[in-house]
Amino acid sequence: MILLAHAIAASPGATLALNGLRGRPLMWSEAGDLGLWSTEWEPDVKLERPDALEHHGLVERICAAQPCLPVRFGTAFATPDEARASLDKRAAALHAALTRVAGKSELALTLLWTEHSPPQAVESAAGPGRRYMEARRAEFAAREARRSRAESLVEEVLTELAIERQLVWYETCTSENVAVSLAVLVPTERAGELKAGLAQVAARFPDVIPVLNGPWPPYTFARTE
Amino acid sequence: MKELTAEDASLLELVDRLLNKGVVLAGEATISVAGIDLIYLGLNVVLAAVETIDKARDRRAS
Repeated sequence: MILLAHAIAASPGATLALNGLRGRPLMWSEAGDLGLWSTEWEPDVKLERPDALEHHGLVERICAAQPCLPVRFGTAFATPDEARASLDKRAAALHAALTRVAGKSELALTLLWTEHSPPQAVESAAGPGRRYMEARRAEFAAREARRSRAESLVEEVLTELAIERQLVWYETCTSENVAVSLAVLVPTERAGELKAGLAQVAARFPDVIPVLNGPWPPYTFARTE
Repeated sequence: MKELTAEDASLLELVDRLLNKGVVLAGEATISVAGIDLIYLGLNVVLAAVETIDKARDRRAS
């Protein structure tokens, strides 16, 4: 039997009438003034996609009961002692992270380009070498234009909503479709209001489709390294 | 490649957070997740739609 980790919280653990994944026991392993919520698991049982979504549901409910740090899905410990040792090693950083996310939730904003980059026309009379170089140059210019536009979208969102930079994480142009993937850490009680604000600002952009998610547990802001 | 829909993007964003974010407790075992690794790669590398990836996986399995 191993422990499949879900979330770290300050001790004492909240009183939760919850089962772990697939109805298995949900465990609380305490290490000093921290503890780990986990499911008793058998090492040869493979995790599936529904388990990931159930883990998400569990983390949401734990976070609703007490401030917690979601653990990356798929992390397991051979024994409760191993789990405790791991928490002990990082206790100071984990406490700092818990303080950072306490009472906060994560909102996710993804901006999808409405159109693919148009192919650039290259003068047909040019030789093959010239055509190749011109095509490469056009591709590079288009990519840079998109990156610059994506950065300006982020700036506009953050400025309009007066969001502190340290509470934001984002990436731009991670694929052909995605202009911006942005996460913002917000006070849980204001999440609905701020989500509406994000939706309002993002809806003004003519060249992207906004996709808003959350409030979620603070996955993006739980890192300790 | 299928166009990425808003629903695809939502699921991919969530799966990315589950697998790529959160506290990393280094040095411990990480259980592999059947059927999810491709979706995770999909977000960061290919960003193909979930449906497309599922179909590709089904084809490989058959």
